[in-house]
Amino acid sequence: MRSRFLLLGAAMCSMVSAAAHAEDKSIEVIHHWVSDSEVAAVNTIKQELEKRGVVWKDTAIGGANGANAEQSLRARIVAGNPPGAMQMLGFDAATWAKEGVLRDLTDLETASGGVQSLPADYRRLAAPGGKWVEVPIDLLRSNWIWANKKAFDAAGVSVPKTWDELIAAGEKLRKAGIIPLAASDEPWQIAKIFDSLIVDLNGPEFYTQVALKVDDKAIRSPEMVKVFEKLRQVRGLVDDNFVGRDWAVATEMVASGKAGMQVMGDWAKGEFLAKGLKPGVDFLCFPTPTSTPNFLWAMDSFSMFETTDPSLRAAQDELVKVLLDPEVQIKFNLIKGSIPPRLDVDMSKFDDCAKQAAVDLKASIEHKSFLGTLSGGYAAEPQFASIFKEVAAKFFVSDMSAQDAVTLLADEINNAR
Amino acid sequence: MIPMTAIKRYLAAQLPKLVLAPSGMVILVAIYGFIAWTASVSFSSSKVMPIYDFVGLEQYIRLWSTPRWHVAVENLFVFSALYLSIATLFGLFIAILLDQRIRAEGFLRTVFLYPMALSFIVSGVAWKWVLNPGLGLQKLVRDWGWTSFTFDWLVNPNYALYTIVIAAVWQSSGFAMAIFLAGLRGIDNSIIKAAQMEGASQVRIYVSVVVPMLRPAFLSVIVLLGQIAIKTFDLTFALTNGGPGGATEMPSMFMFSATFERNQMAVGAASAMMMLAAVVAIMVPYLYTELRKPSNEH
Amino acid sequence: MSTRMRKLERHGGRLFVYGCLAVLATLYLVPLWVMLITSFKPLDEIYSGSLIGLPKQITFEAWSKAWSTACIGTNCVGLSPFFLNSLIITIPAVFVSTAIGAINGYTLTKWKFRGADLFFAVMLFGCFLPLQAVLLPIARVLGMLRLSGSTAGLILVHSVYGIAFTTMFFRNYFVSFPDELTKAALVDGAGFFRIFFSIALPTAIPIAVVCCIWQFTSIWNDFLFGVSFSAGGSSPITVALNNVVNVTLGRKQYNVDMAAALIAALPTLIVYVLSGRYFVRGLTAGAVKG
Repeated sequence: MRSRFLLLGAAMCSMVSAAAHAEDKSIEVIHHWVSDSEVAAVNTIKQELEKRGVVWKDTAIGGANGANAEQSLRARIVAGNPPGAMQMLGFDAATWAKEGVLRDLTDLETASGGVQSLPADYRRLAAPGGKWVEVPIDLLRSNWIWANKKAFDAAGVSVPKTWDELIAAGEKLRKAGIIPLAASDEPWQIAKIFDSLIVDLNGPEFYTQVALKVDDKAIRSPEMVKVFEKLRQVRGLVDDNFVGRDWAVATEMVASGKAGMQVMGDWAKGEFLAKGLKPGVDFLCFPTPTSTPNFLWAMDSFSMFETTDPSLRAAQDELVKVLLDPEVQIKFNLIKGSIPPRLDVDMSKFDDCAKQAAVDLKASIEHKSFLGTLSGGYAAEPQFASIFKEVAAKFFVSDMSAQDAVTLLADEINNAR
Repeated sequence: MIPMTAIKRYLAAQLPKLVLAPSGMVILVAIYGFIAWTASVSFSSSKVMPIYDFVGLEQYIRLWSTPRWHVAVENLFVFSALYLSIATLFGLFIAILLDQRIRAEGFLRTVFLYPMALSFIVSGVAWKWVLNPGLGLQKLVRDWGWTSFTFDWLVNPNYALYTIVIAAVWQSSGFAMAIFLAGLRGIDNSIIKAAQMEGASQVRIYVSVVVPMLRPAFLSVIVLLGQIAIKTFDLTFALTNGGPGGATEMPSMFMFSATFERNQMAVGAASAMMMLAAVVAIMVPYLYTELRKPSNEH
Repeated sequence: MSTRMRKLERHGGRLFVYGCLAVLATLYLVPLWVMLITSFKPLDEIYSGSLIGLPKQITFEAWSKAWSTACIGTNCVGLSPFFLNSLIITIPAVFVSTAIGAINGYTLTKWKFRGADLFFAVMLFGCFLPLQAVLLPIARVLGMLRLSGSTAGLILVHSVYGIAFTTMFFRNYFVSFPDELTKAALVDGAGFFRIFFSIALPTAIPIAVVCCIWQFTSIWNDFLFGVSFSAGGSSPITVALNNVVNVTLGRKQYNVDMAAALIAALPTLIVYVLSGRYFVRGLTAGAVKG
């Protein structure tokens, strides 16, 4: 017992001394990456930063899709004690920029080649009013389908080209005794399917009207009713035990062959790879079925908070450079399962799914179908995005009619305007 | 000139008030001052950070035309009514059982009390599994051979709220039990003996003699459980996160997500004010009747 | 009624009492049981769908991982340092709020002045305040006091928002404490504090225990203040636990989650087990008297 205490004391002393060394140049970073693979990825940034003489002081706050971290940030800004940097999703940076608490990073990002090499659509969120306020580290695609190859072979189905084909394939899987689609009742998971349906059924132009411009006419249109009707059919492919199901548990169902498919972002890939399964051999990755190369994106970024402390500013400068370093982006994304947001990065070390994502990314930019994901908060502003998510989830778990869902959606959105 | 003794006497007389003054100041600022702040935000157009302008009742109108808020309010009423009554009944029932001079009372008391010690971040996952039809109770019973057994409340938007009631009752009925048990121990035994002499059955004695004597205990239970009911956040958050499909939304969750997720700080503040108004409506009559009694006695 | 019938009834009654208690106790223990067995299972066994059944293979790995190597963000030090933080926050806050509650309760009942009941009612309202609503003003005040992000700040906040509850407990106790005793002491020349320390307080130990248990439980289990007013290394255990448990986009390690949850709950569980008896005794002493 006593030795345990001594050890604890020693550990604390070493922590204190580490902190003391850090006094010259260090930066506190709030983020909400808490899973093992996420932490491993963050460590690549931390280590590179430390190589350059800056200590990363970690404040991780997981849960509630970043809302817990957001709550902490607000309390700290009100208290006049902001962190050095913070992980930003969706509209976060644009919102804080309006409050005047973020540093203008335009010069730094131009110097590091970020401004020139990042996808143009990102500017909408990262550079409101022309001033860059955030730096991205990864690029995620949310409209992936992950499938079990053996299950597909057993049921005699191939990669579907349309949602109707997908539903037909689902019926075949069911006949072969396989749950066609592994899903959950968590709104963000349902919304992944919902987002994809909006763009896949009606095209990028329509998606822009609904998800980015939040246009009342488009939202009330028969095309939107069609989206909900299709979502109802997709619901038919899901088993009854989907409540509270963790996405990784759903992925596990696909990996083990209990279920055929799952609609999920790139991070699902890590689950397959961790089991030693190979893309193309054991599992398949393909975009949700459609005629245009749609790419629904999300990016994790960091913003730097305004400060007068010169050593903190220097640490922030260094962090920006590290984040935009192509080598760091490669290392980070190899671990995290996503792809580098810089378009000029060598993809040769990545697996086939990531390579396909990079190819699709460029094609989608050409076809103007590189679009922010609605449910992730990269299309409409948060007060609207959450309504899309909630209505889709409500519709998915109940027996509401498609028309009622459209009316509810449009009314709630008008109320939030 | 005022004599020193007079000052001293005056100070001595004011001592009680002086002792209470710091607490009073703190309460005044930390509770009432901050409520006033919340009120002012609720009349403003604040989105991400507080702005101190004035837009009248706009945010309240917006709040009350949000269907999600209506669901939350309705849920709170249903939840509070069920939770308060069931937890009170369970607590009373267990307390009466434990009061029958049984063996292992200490152990059993701990068993019923321990859920109170666990935060719901902790026990939420366990409950989620037990209530999940494909993993928990339903599967277990079906595996035992009763294949038509169905317990899918967690999945069903119409019943999911009741699973939160179950978990909440589990968590705090032990506390009610402790208060009732204390109340029972405080009752004069001779009254019960007298009733027994008259030949009344045990059940009858409890219903018509003992329970009415527990009135103060009932009131303590209602206050302590009532504040838990109104503030219920962790519980819903861990168990259903408001789902399925928003069916278990609660006012405190609504306030959290409006303020910290949807950048509608003023709407969040308005919802907080409505919750406080509800507390006032329920608490003031209670406090009025309760606080008059002891002051009459003394 | 014949004596035999009576006896039978009594036996039947005993059977009913014990039967009910056994069933209820089992039900109450189910969640704890689920958490315990899960913490001893290897992860693969859990992911293959065995959640409620007995473990096929018992391992203590999850416990040691949760205590000393689980990652809280990039600091893979387990819960142990945060456990210490929580103790540093909880113990002073419980002590301070209980002490204030004791003297408040004593003053409000034994030195009654006009408006004492009103004062109490106004204070009691604080129990019902939904604390999420006042986070930002608290943050502002902490910032002005230069206590933002510090352990001292958390101790202060917990003490302040505990006063309403602690005052209620002590007031309800002292209401039933006979006035004759204090009045007699007053006649003997004892003053306000003398009576408090040598007459009122010693008798109030049971209610002080109740109050401490209540405060300890709610402060130890607090997440809201912890997540809002602490930074990095000074976080209480609930914030660290949340980081272990609340993984959205990573693979959930259920066995570690459960072990971590049980570790986080251990102090409160111990408090309840050790002082359960005093808890009921303390409540008997007065807290139930409205």
